[in-house]
Amino acid sequence: MRTKYRLGIDAGGTFTDFVLAEDTGQARLYKALSTPDNPTRAIKEGLKLIGQDLGLSASEIVRECDLCINGTTVGLNALIQHKGGKTGLICTAGHEDSIEIRLGHKEDGYRYDAEYPPAKMLVPRRLRRGVRERIRSDGQVHTPLNEEDVAATCELFLREGIESVAVSLVWSVLDQSHERRAGEIVRKMMPDAAVTLGSELYPQVREYTRTSTSVVNAYLAPIMRAYVEAVDGYFRALGAQHPVRYFQSNGGLSEGAALSDRSVYAINSGPASAPRAGLYVAEPFGTKNVITVDMGGTSFDITLTKDGQTNLNKNIDFLRYRIGVPMIQVETLGAGGGSIGWIDPMGLLQVGPQSAGAVPGPACYGQGGEEPTVSDANLVLGYLNPEGLIGGRLPLDRSCAKAALRRIAEPLGLSIERAAYGMFTIVNSNMAAGIRRVSVERGYDPRDFVLVGAGGATAAHITALAREMGIDTVILPKLASGLCAFGQIISDVKYNVMATAPMRLDTAEAYARLDALFAELEAKGRRQLEADGFGPDRIRIERSIEMRYVGQVHECTVEIGSFPIGGESAEHIKDAFHRRHEQLFTYSERHNTVEVVNIEVTAYGLVEKPAAPQLAEGRDSAAARKGMRDAIFSADGTAVSTQVYDGAILGAGAVVAGPAIIEEETTTIVIEPGWTAALHESGAYRITRDGAL
Amino acid sequence: MTTRTVDPITLSVVRGVLETTQREMTLALEKTARSSVFNLAHDYSTALFNATPEMILQGQDIPIHLGSLVPAMKAVAAYFGDDIQEGDLILHNDPAWGGSHAIDVCMYKPVFHDGRLMYWTVCKGHLTDIGGPVPAGYNPNATEIYAECLRIPPVKIVERGRPRQDVLNLILTNMRARRDQEGDFNALIGACQVGERNLLAMLEKYGVEQVEACIDKLLDMAETHMRSLIAEVPDGTYSGTAILEDAGHGFGDFEITATVTITGDDCHIKIDSPPQIPYFINSYEGNSHSGVYLGLMMFAQLPPPYNEGLYRCVSVDFGPKGTLCNAKEPAPHMNCTTTPMETLTDAVRLAFEQAMPSKVAASWGHANGLNIAGWDKRHDEEYVTMVLATIISGAGATPSQDGWHACGPECCFGALTSGDIELLEHAYPIVIHRYSLMTDSGGAGKFRGGSGTAWEVEPLNGEMTFITFGEGRRIPAMGAAGAKSEMVDAKVGRIELVKGGERKVIRTNVIETLKPGDRVTNMNPGGGGYGDPFERPVEWVVEDMRNGLVSAEGARADYGVAIDPATFAVDEGETRTLRAGRVGGMSQRET
Repeated sequence: MRTKYRLGIDAGGTFTDFVLAEDTGQARLYKALSTPDNPTRAIKEGLKLIGQDLGLSASEIVRECDLCINGTTVGLNALIQHKGGKTGLICTAGHEDSIEIRLGHKEDGYRYDAEYPPAKMLVPRRLRRGVRERIRSDGQVHTPLNEEDVAATCELFLREGIESVAVSLVWSVLDQSHERRAGEIVRKMMPDAAVTLGSELYPQVREYTRTSTSVVNAYLAPIMRAYVEAVDGYFRALGAQHPVRYFQSNGGLSEGAALSDRSVYAINSGPASAPRAGLYVAEPFGTKNVITVDMGGTSFDITLTKDGQTNLNKNIDFLRYRIGVPMIQVETLGAGGGSIGWIDPMGLLQVGPQSAGAVPGPACYGQGGEEPTVSDANLVLGYLNPEGLIGGRLPLDRSCAKAALRRIAEPLGLSIERAAYGMFTIVNSNMAAGIRRVSVERGYDPRDFVLVGAGGATAAHITALAREMGIDTVILPKLASGLCAFGQIISDVKYNVMATAPMRLDTAEAYARLDALFAELEAKGRRQLEADGFGPDRIRIERSIEMRYVGQVHECTVEIGSFPIGGESAEHIKDAFHRRHEQLFTYSERHNTVEVVNIEVTAYGLVEKPAAPQLAEGRDSAAARKGMRDAIFSADGTAVSTQVYDGAILGAGAVVAGPAIIEEETTTIVIEPGWTAALHESGAYRITRDGAL
Repeated sequence: MTTRTVDPITLSVVRGVLETTQREMTLALEKTARSSVFNLAHDYSTALFNATPEMILQGQDIPIHLGSLVPAMKAVAAYFGDDIQEGDLILHNDPAWGGSHAIDVCMYKPVFHDGRLMYWTVCKGHLTDIGGPVPAGYNPNATEIYAECLRIPPVKIVERGRPRQDVLNLILTNMRARRDQEGDFNALIGACQVGERNLLAMLEKYGVEQVEACIDKLLDMAETHMRSLIAEVPDGTYSGTAILEDAGHGFGDFEITATVTITGDDCHIKIDSPPQIPYFINSYEGNSHSGVYLGLMMFAQLPPPYNEGLYRCVSVDFGPKGTLCNAKEPAPHMNCTTTPMETLTDAVRLAFEQAMPSKVAASWGHANGLNIAGWDKRHDEEYVTMVLATIISGAGATPSQDGWHACGPECCFGALTSGDIELLEHAYPIVIHRYSLMTDSGGAGKFRGGSGTAWEVEPLNGEMTFITFGEGRRIPAMGAAGAKSEMVDAKVGRIELVKGGERKVIRTNVIETLKPGDRVTNMNPGGGGYGDPFERPVEWVVEDMRNGLVSAEGARADYGVAIDPATFAVDEGETRTLRAGRVGGMSQRET
């Protein structure tokens, strides 16, 4: 049966976005208030909204969907609020404290801070129980598993009412037998508990990372399991044709059952769909090098994709917990429209990371906010419409904004206008530093990328940001504020299948072992996708190897093709590693031995994409002029009379030369002098630096 | 103070660029280094200097390096005088030229713009070996610096862009595990180059004059900030004395005294220490700078960024040359970055505690750890390293909270990372049987000190030599605001050796060899407590006991709380008696 819709539901902190893509290429965006205490309620609310708009029942909509996709913050919220399940850890005796020792490190930035608290333990020390057993680094058994220790621990956990158990043993990645046997005992003695095995969840070297990842997973498992059951059940009852797919932090979709077992994959899924959306909107312009920036009220999220490959993070601290599994690298800064300008103890002007939040909000909202925010600066600079945002539904008060800005202008000896431009400059500079973290620090030159804007507040900063980074091309879709939700519905199913393979890459034996291991992982990925209903022609496999020079500790990841690994191809792999090392660190050591640490297969189940969006008929820029406004584009605070355009009137091919401001329904685009915007038939503005092309 | 006008906005931006530059240098170092001491353990620092040379930014790295880069950079620049050329790279480690200890090797790159020397990018890292008679540099039997290491005075390893392979070869030939040392030199050079690239881009973008004015202003602002903090301290003279344990040299315990004199917004710190001794705990001036500055930072508690302006209002008299804290050749010194640095820091901290008791936190556990070496049969090659996982001690409690567990030692202040045990076992032929917190190790107080750690190791498949270093094995970390522990032995560092079936406890610095089946456990002290332990809420003590951080005996002795170890029930009558018995009796509990 041919279906009419695809539905994407993206839960955010404040709003849950609903994107309904029609087979005609039209995409509709709806917003309902998020209901963190009962997340399925927001979904029902949203379906009701759509139903009212289209004159259909929830069931009629869902039955007409080929796919319903859900990005959820349930796991994230549980981790932020420390409201996960009651969890116990079974580990190797003597290693009960690795998640509390945290490698003995205190986070940078707090070195001499006497009040910075330690990270809250998800499993208190008394519920982290060592069992006697030990595998050595060469895979040999040093001490066999003491099963009585495991059983005694289960008895303690039963008495304590433990809902979820993580089992993570030293070197279980080289020999899974102890961990599996311990898992069997737990499942038998505690049939109701969720069980996470370190070597299954994250089979990679690094005991602390694996144990911490397992603990976070176990902690979230009961929450995710209940959530997935509720959502799956609701959609099944409405008559959905396929199971709901869930969006993961790795940038792909997963089946509900798979996500229940691997809940840690859900923790930062919200911004992880931006790269997919960014590639999609950039495609008509022929580039696969995309940096996405998403500025909302309180934060600024950045991702980078080079040649279609998005930067991933592994083994990072997320909300102060070490997470191993791959996640899309999302650099998040406290830089949003509500970010506050302040003068630090040294006397320097800073912006953020504190935010005025939704209440009281920026001073210009007139809800009692007194601190100067980025939105106040943008209003004083003339970027935002003083009559208000969202077509005047959110009125703005310029005098409140000015009064707030005076708080920083006076001590710095600046005019209000110069202080406003100063805040604008500093927040842009902070955002530029964030962009360096995804680009320069990963060995990429940001000038080789286009900048794609998402989120409501980005468009006022986007040309300034591109100027700061030396980027010549910006792509800003009209639907920027709902871009992440859109990204989810065009994503594929994605599973990461990993193994550890510590070996020096210098013998035929090593090549053969590597080849066999990859084949094994690939088969595992394929099996999982086939079970999800993907045929061989809908499966794509990618391989990557983490390598380093012998003696180094940190690895470089190199993506390789799906070819047999032997003498000649191994040389290509090593060459790719040397080049990557040069790119990242300015040098290579071609005479030195290269060793492999971990390997990974990424298995994609390709999902058919909805029809490409098509811009409705419109007119040229002259027809869209709606008046002039004074705007400031320089540090001296001089105002320039600037043309304002109504974005709703502009049609494909319309060209707007800066300085100019384009007001869209949900965002305001500032085109600085020296930049020109052209509206493309796909509904995205392409904004370029004059003379650059 | 500078007179040039500075745009306050560009100022904030330049500050950000400097921090980004330093961050990117640090990342490059960490990701490429071979030495587990620096790539796993963060025992490195990066800094930027102007042409003066004044330090314009120091990373948030190890306090050991906090002060010592300042005199080292000045000594290096002075040595070459007007012979500093574009394309030069200078290597140096020697304490007589401002270095800290010789195994911390520094790389200096002068950055030129339009033919003019503008900046220096500098990195420093702890190598795994620096030549000399024992692996990893720490030789407790050395009576002179010549018996410790290869000394490298400032030397150009690249001159006008041309590498001096002969010089480099001379140096590397004198070091163990040459491949690793060579890799680490590459890492240091790479990081300096990353820094240079960023600084030049900044000059192009904002213009030499504006950038220079901003940097001068940042130095001035740091000075003003530190002066405002010093001005809050009542004028007067405050004194702190800390005891340096005899860790096996036989000369007995020593006292180090810091006398802090506050006059308005100026601070003068005078150090008194005994004459230097023929044992590896003498501190040359560069290293003593770090010890004093860390004590100062424990008072100032400043957030980043850090630059040399902070120290303009602080003058330091390290005492006469030839003393423990102002050593001269030929004093052996290798252990100086922990011992006596931490005792020196304690003395300064204590002087500030006298001045501002409500602000200054307790001392952290001192470092005592292991270096290991041997032959790795798996790859038929030599191995040698300092194991920084063995020095992770507890942090001191503060006026507002318990100390962090496993965050020390004091000289590193949380900047270290100890390295994953699987990565260590992959790199070296060892089996790590235990890496955990220790019961009763945190100093007693209303706020408890953080727990220290135990690290137990067995050689995997051959003989392993270990060398112990440090102190803090008899005297626990100093508490603050009346904190005091009764159960002292659980709170200090020590080494437990099980060799050929025999078990012994070691509290001195020794060299020993183990076979598979033998084990050594290095235990590190907890942090000091803050406030009277009898004021600690009973339920907090119970919670600590449930989590095995405090034993029933510890609860009773240290906190005056009687808890049933089986049920965790509190005997309230007994607790009242215990606590009342010593009310007002703080003086009885002083030693």
